[in-house]
Amino acid sequence: MDSSYIIAGIVIASVLTYVTRIIPFIFFRNKEPSATIKYIEWNMPVMIMVILVFYALKDVSWGVYPYGIAEMIGIVIAGSLHVKYKNALLSIFVATVTYMVLIQKVFINY
Amino acid sequence: MSFFSIFKMTIPVLMGYIPLGMAFGLLLSKLLIPWYYAFFMSLFIFAGAGQFLVLALFASQATILEIGVAIFLLNLRHTFYGLSMLSTLKKFSWKKHYIIFGLTDETFALLKTNDVKEEERERVYLIITALNQSYWIVGSVIGAVLGNIVPFDYRGIEFSLTALFVVLSIDLYNKSRQHKPFLISIVIGFVGMLAFPSDKMLILSLSLAAVVLILFKKALEDG
Repeated sequence: MDSSYIIAGIVIASVLTYVTRIIPFIFFRNKEPSATIKYIEWNMPVMIMVILVFYALKDVSWGVYPYGIAEMIGIVIAGSLHVKYKNALLSIFVATVTYMVLIQKVFINY
Repeated sequence: MSFFSIFKMTIPVLMGYIPLGMAFGLLLSKLLIPWYYAFFMSLFIFAGAGQFLVLALFASQATILEIGVAIFLLNLRHTFYGLSMLSTLKKFSWKKHYIIFGLTDETFALLKTNDVKEEERERVYLIITALNQSYWIVGSVIGAVLGNIVPFDYRGIEFSLTALFVVLSIDLYNKSRQHKPFLISIVIGFVGMLAFPSDKMLILSLSLAAVVLILFKKALEDG
């Protein structure tokens, strides 16, 4: 991977991450944010996160063996563990290890 | 408040950031990106899900503009954190910029859930933020270095990103007051995954979600 591409990506990500954190201190120093802004801030994050789940799955070949089964199993494990125990690391760890075993040892022609 | 008692407050974050940082570092090394970029990313970006997302975008050779839009939208939730800390941080000196910079989900949770006497707040908040960031940097560098030197079949490690998104979706769903946006985004994500061109899927789906959210504000709020 080209290092100037990586550096440019890091710079833009750094600046914009900081921007998202400083915005309220610039715009709402003296006034309350509008109801619409609050509404968007309340609801957008969950929508972004759900869409990112599908984004992470966009290159799965659903029509060919093994039909994304490993991904589905991994997601069900991560989701159900998290609903039950609310421990993010446990959910991520178990789901990832299961997925790695599945694609390395079970669906070998993957 | 002694340094040690501040350190004790950050132990839950330590337990979370070291392994998650390591997963980030391993993923980075798997993309054949040199380990020191893990250090720079954790030093300058310092956003858990955000850094994973940047790696995913690097892997699919996204443009710099796409990286910018995606990370901005993902981290917009931090704006909300800042909003609820306005009055506290207003009283701090210029050093507050480091606290604002370091306002990750976990740091925010720590600052919000611990009671600190007003006159000690600036110092305690600064130390908490710096400790948290140091755990994140250490974890990610360990992961990136290990990924290069320990021979191990890391195929599939990228699923940690998918699992992280699943976990954060559930957390945010539990926290949000309305459930319709959650269901709508499942539909949009599903359609986007199947129908949108792969390289524009993220931008198109996120824009669609924002448009639906604004157009149907009334209907969504009533539910």
